[in-house]
Amino acid sequence: MKLASENFLQEASAALNAQEKVARRNLLGQFLPLARGSAASKYGDFDALRAHMKRVRRHTSEHLSHYLQQFEEAAVQHGNQVHFVADAEQLNSKVLSICQAHSARRVAKGKSMVTEETGLNELLLKAGLEVLETDLGEYIIQQAGETPSHIVGPAFHKSLAEIRQLFLDKHKLGERSLETASEVVEEARGILREQFLAADVGIIGANALVAEHGTSMLVTNEGNGDLCANLPPVLIVCTTFERLLPRAEDAVALQRLLVRSATGQPQTCYTSFYSGPRREDDPDGPLETHIILLDNKRSDILASDYREILDCIRCGACLNHCPIYIGVGGHPYGWVYPGPMGSVLTPLLTSLEQAQALPNACTSCGRCAEVCPANIPLPDLLRDLRQEESVQRIKPARWRHGLRLHAWLLRQPRLYQLSTGWTMSLLGWLGKRRGAFRRMPFASGWTGQRDFPAPEGGGTFMRQYAGRRRGARRG
Amino acid sequence: MADSVRAQLLARLRAQETETEPEEIARALAALGHAQAARAPHPDVHTAFLANVLANQGTVELARDRGAAVQAIGRYLYQRFRTHKLVAGNDPRLAAMPWRDGGVLPRFGAAEAGDAAALSYAKLGVAETGAIVTFTGRANPGRNNLLPEDHLVLVNREDVVSTLEEAWVRIRKDTQAGNWPRGIQFIAGPSSTADVEAQLVLGAHGPRRWHVILVGDTPTSAVDAARESLAAAPL
Repeated sequence: MKLASENFLQEASAALNAQEKVARRNLLGQFLPLARGSAASKYGDFDALRAHMKRVRRHTSEHLSHYLQQFEEAAVQHGNQVHFVADAEQLNSKVLSICQAHSARRVAKGKSMVTEETGLNELLLKAGLEVLETDLGEYIIQQAGETPSHIVGPAFHKSLAEIRQLFLDKHKLGERSLETASEVVEEARGILREQFLAADVGIIGANALVAEHGTSMLVTNEGNGDLCANLPPVLIVCTTFERLLPRAEDAVALQRLLVRSATGQPQTCYTSFYSGPRREDDPDGPLETHIILLDNKRSDILASDYREILDCIRCGACLNHCPIYIGVGGHPYGWVYPGPMGSVLTPLLTSLEQAQALPNACTSCGRCAEVCPANIPLPDLLRDLRQEESVQRIKPARWRHGLRLHAWLLRQPRLYQLSTGWTMSLLGWLGKRRGAFRRMPFASGWTGQRDFPAPEGGGTFMRQYAGRRRGARRG
Repeated sequence: MADSVRAQLLARLRAQETETEPEEIARALAALGHAQAARAPHPDVHTAFLANVLANQGTVELARDRGAAVQAIGRYLYQRFRTHKLVAGNDPRLAAMPWRDGGVLPRFGAAEAGDAAALSYAKLGVAETGAIVTFTGRANPGRNNLLPEDHLVLVNREDVVSTLEEAWVRIRKDTQAGNWPRGIQFIAGPSSTADVEAQLVLGAHGPRRWHVILVGDTPTSAVDAARESLAAAPL
């Protein structure tokens, strides 16, 4: 997928002005955290589960070559063809060559963030194949020619009315009402069902790879991924090595974390473990299966201080809890992965220079780290990326000099207290009449959206604190 | 191309790892133990299973034995579709059931596009999540779980385990002789989606209804107890 993170600020401003969409995002930002919170507390000790998973992940990544080979060996024994590819281009051409080897015309896809990352659809379409996204959210945005705005609900940004109009335009089915979510789903079901039955190749992702059995775990509610894995004669699983877990029990622990964090359910409708092509006596299932393992800079990340981002299980909880994501939505982030996890991953998988706005789209509030099922220190990783922007001189010179000046001032406590004290008195005096400022020099970004409150009397925090300590000593 | 990518990746990974014997890795892994299962909605495992099936938007029924199960299936099919037709996998347990007594006409094999109802005999039921487990193959083709409008499932009382970990102990036991199935499917509800304005709609791509029949000597009060435990802690 093409990177468009450079326009984050402009896109974010535009998104904040679309009132109806802002209201819908605010609802999601309330509803999804509630669902997650309730599911986590019903589970029991969710924090212990997170800590357990973290230990399993650390163990796995410390012995990744061992588990990767164990997985490969078992998968080959089950009859899979396992392919290693270095980058997006290699993955896309591998998939295309498999499709061409079978003279395939129709491809049915389950939800796969990895193939969003590599922009697979574009290449397949160019080669003359029909590619259909079958996850309802992905199908909607594919029909609309848009990109996902959320990693779990790709079409959360669209209203029912918009989806209705889209379907009326795209599906030539004559007069119909299509006014409820059920009617919309029903129509998509009918259309996609035919496509499943006619597809020559199915493509899915994997939520986990189980090393001991050489299986891939697929978690869905719609069952579309399972239809892709069961009906077409050829199945391709596109995935990455950091999905590896040693045992089925570890996949179970992941499942407990993932589903509660993503949708607030205890378990999705379908959780499947696929091992390979159909067995000798099997009446159905693919005749040929491929597993494509993509690196795409992940081995670089593993060797860096950002390795913990590879623990991400793509649940979307950090998006749902992030004030910036809920404020501006997924599209301004300009690539596949939005929100806090995306602001870490995008610069690492693409370029820090082009995605420099993303690590700055953070208030350091810490909610993402509080709810991350993989216990990833997201605010720390974002801060480290911001620092790297300074070190690499990617940040504008004005920022860097300003920050250096600020850092110097912080190291001179006397001067710092004096200057903040003066500034505060001055602002208090200037703003006495209105109680707030409509405009301020150097702070138009802040005052553009709201007024800056004038300081009330009583002096700076440090002065009040010192005064209270003196008072306490006397008292 | 792929071979050199593989070799390079493994070399890079090894360069960062401390060399460890496989036995040592296995010991470290075993020492990590397993995670805790989710809190059960009811202390009785069968009641908890029924409660979670209901929470997953499924419907439940009890059948004392296979004869009663056939009767229940016959009633269900008649009420829903005014039919006695059903597709089911070539499961010896299903083949041996007294179908004629319940007036049910099963076709044994893989589901086709027009089949309204399919029946599976589950390997397991999992109380922790209210899921049933099937293996793909002759006894239960994968598409039977996915294509029909209604998916009916029989599960024996003695095959209901309390946690997902216990389910995997049983799965390993059943697949020992190198007969690993193509797919192991945990099913917990009718197919659903919330992709349109986050509203839950049942029957996304797969079955619209999911009916679980627990076979064995379960007191009829278990269903009421399951409903009560749900009402006490609504999802």
